[in-house]
Amino acid sequence: MANEVKLPRLGQGMEAGTVTKWLKSEGDTVEKGEPLFEVDTDKVTQEVESDFSGVLLKIALQEGEAPVGQTIAWIGDAGEEVAEARPAESRPAPQREQVSDTEKVSDTVSAPSPARSTTNGRVKASPLARRLARERGIDLASLQGTGPEGRIVAKDVEGAQARPPAPAAAPVGEVERVPLTNVRKTIARRLTAAWQAPVFQLTVTADMTRANELIGKARELNPDVRVTVTDLLAKVCAQALMRHRDVNVQYDEDSLLRFPTANVGIAVAAPQGLVVPVLRSVERLSLAEVAAARADAVGRARDTKLTAQDLEDGTFTISNLGMFGIEQFVAVLNPPQAAILAVGATVDTPVARGGAVEIRPILTMTLTVDHRAVDGAEGADFLRTVKQFVEDPALAL
Amino acid sequence: MPDVTYREAVRDALGAAMRADESVFIMGEDIAEMGGSMGVTQGLLDEFGPERVRNTPISEMAIVGTGIGAAMAGMRPVVEIMYEDFLTLSLEQIVNQAAKHRYMSGGQVTVPLTIRTQGGAGWSPGAQHAQQLEAWLVHIPGLKVVYPSTPEDVRGLLWTSIYDDNPVVFFEHRLLYPVKGPVPEELEPIPLGKARVVREGTDVTVVAIGPLVHRALEAATKAEEEGISVEVVDPRTLQPLDESALVESVKKTNRAVVAHEAVTRMGFGAEVAAVLQYQAFDYLDAPIERVGAKFAPLAFAPVMEQYVVPHAEDVLAAIKRTVGK
Repeated sequence: MANEVKLPRLGQGMEAGTVTKWLKSEGDTVEKGEPLFEVDTDKVTQEVESDFSGVLLKIALQEGEAPVGQTIAWIGDAGEEVAEARPAESRPAPQREQVSDTEKVSDTVSAPSPARSTTNGRVKASPLARRLARERGIDLASLQGTGPEGRIVAKDVEGAQARPPAPAAAPVGEVERVPLTNVRKTIARRLTAAWQAPVFQLTVTADMTRANELIGKARELNPDVRVTVTDLLAKVCAQALMRHRDVNVQYDEDSLLRFPTANVGIAVAAPQGLVVPVLRSVERLSLAEVAAARADAVGRARDTKLTAQDLEDGTFTISNLGMFGIEQFVAVLNPPQAAILAVGATVDTPVARGGAVEIRPILTMTLTVDHRAVDGAEGADFLRTVKQFVEDPALAL
Repeated sequence: MPDVTYREAVRDALGAAMRADESVFIMGEDIAEMGGSMGVTQGLLDEFGPERVRNTPISEMAIVGTGIGAAMAGMRPVVEIMYEDFLTLSLEQIVNQAAKHRYMSGGQVTVPLTIRTQGGAGWSPGAQHAQQLEAWLVHIPGLKVVYPSTPEDVRGLLWTSIYDDNPVVFFEHRLLYPVKGPVPEELEPIPLGKARVVREGTDVTVVAIGPLVHRALEAATKAEEEGISVEVVDPRTLQPLDESALVESVKKTNRAVVAHEAVTRMGFGAEVAAVLQYQAFDYLDAPIERVGAKFAPLAFAPVMEQYVVPHAEDVLAAIKRTVGK
């Protein structure tokens, strides 16, 4: 088997060096002790002598920087194969890499796949490294050796300790492969797209004293439907959107679609995944009507009976995780809508009121805004209106 | 503690043992009037007389054979073989007689014989006067083998060897005779089978004997400049071997270099390496390195001789290999 020529450590503290010149060419015969190549370190340029006699089979790094210990060439018997590079795209991505009997050597040393410390499937590791790995439950095959000839030494195992612990001993049994449902695929596609939008976030708190009174009264007057904070927020946001029409838009690459009505989406955790049914023209609905429409949409979402139409034409989304005790979070944009409001739990909080500390029910809301459609000041102005309406719902009339 | 030479320390131990016990006497070629070819026994004839400081014919077989007989008869003879190369002439007596009598007599007979000899390269004595043959003797059950590296050790260990009831082959090194070192005012016996940590370190253990202890210390100093902490351990007694001391050191450092002046192949170091790999297997972080002479006879030509024998640089290179530098 061919000997690996590695970038040597030429001085204390040397971690990398730059190969500047080869004094032999591929195919040349090299004697042990003959100058083989030149290395530039921080301090000096130095000739490096060959540790092996044989034929310089292959130079992997003609010029350039490499870490100490990286294989930069192979010396062996004339005609010996230093296996060909493996095309990266032919590697089946999700499958675990097989370490074949004929360990192949990549051509592209500038970005090498970790040189496995294996020969014929056996991991090359010192006895101490083996014991440490055994004691600490570390898979030696997952490590890259830095010792002579790529041997895994104790230092490598100790280094592995510093990494986050590998998923704890997997429960006995097979890993289950669950194909993505179309809903999941849609969620993945849309949220990935959303992640590309340049967004900013704005956070406000609102005193819920009056809103809670209103919700209480609404429940008394409409025992058939249970009015919730989400309903009030949907109503309040719809009114605010009508005052800030520049926020009530969809972003459509080369144009903004301004909607005449506030169509508010409600994020629902349905069995099949996240869905956002849209309540249309919420600005025209009473609080009880909002609650009824919302209850109907959420019910159908849970029964997976939503139609495509239920999901269309949204101009704004509310995502409420308050019922889980989440106080504050940031929602991911729901394109093509320009904004989404993340609503937390209402928490009794000491606040300053007229020079005294009072306990008030405080709600925290975070607005995520697509900066391509809405600027910061517009977004802030909109959120201020929402806060005012929440704290004094009468203003929303 | 006064500084004395290795040569003076040997002489001191011989004189002290002869003063302490009438049964101790010395024999060898030219050891009386001439004081030995290396000057070790100078002055002993004057103090102890020709009965106890005896010149012998040039026959190593006879020297050892006579020593064995005297030992079996109740004496504690110390015989000198001028060069360890010539131990080969007395091997029948050493291997088949001295080493076997206690066993074959069921313990009725003991052979409290000490065979002192010296050798080693570094002064161009040529192929027949410079060898290191300790490996030949450590292979024989029934013998004890000692190889001290310092004046203090040689004095304390020679005393113990003389008073041991078993045959002891006691190796000295030609180049160590002028080496000076501190010794206690009073002779302190050193037990056989006890290694000495000559220098403490944390990264690599160098197990060295004889002159290589000194080469290893030089290498350790250089290694320290490169940030490698080297522990040097001298077994001092090759048989019995203080295995636990060597193993404990390697368990601490996780790396080992074994160094002696004898040829590497089949050398004493091979046994040490085997002991270490077996008893400290799960503690080793690198292959055990061996340092010794190349597998070749020693030449008269100084350049050729120096090419064959190991130097501090060789120990240093081995140290670096173990730590991957």
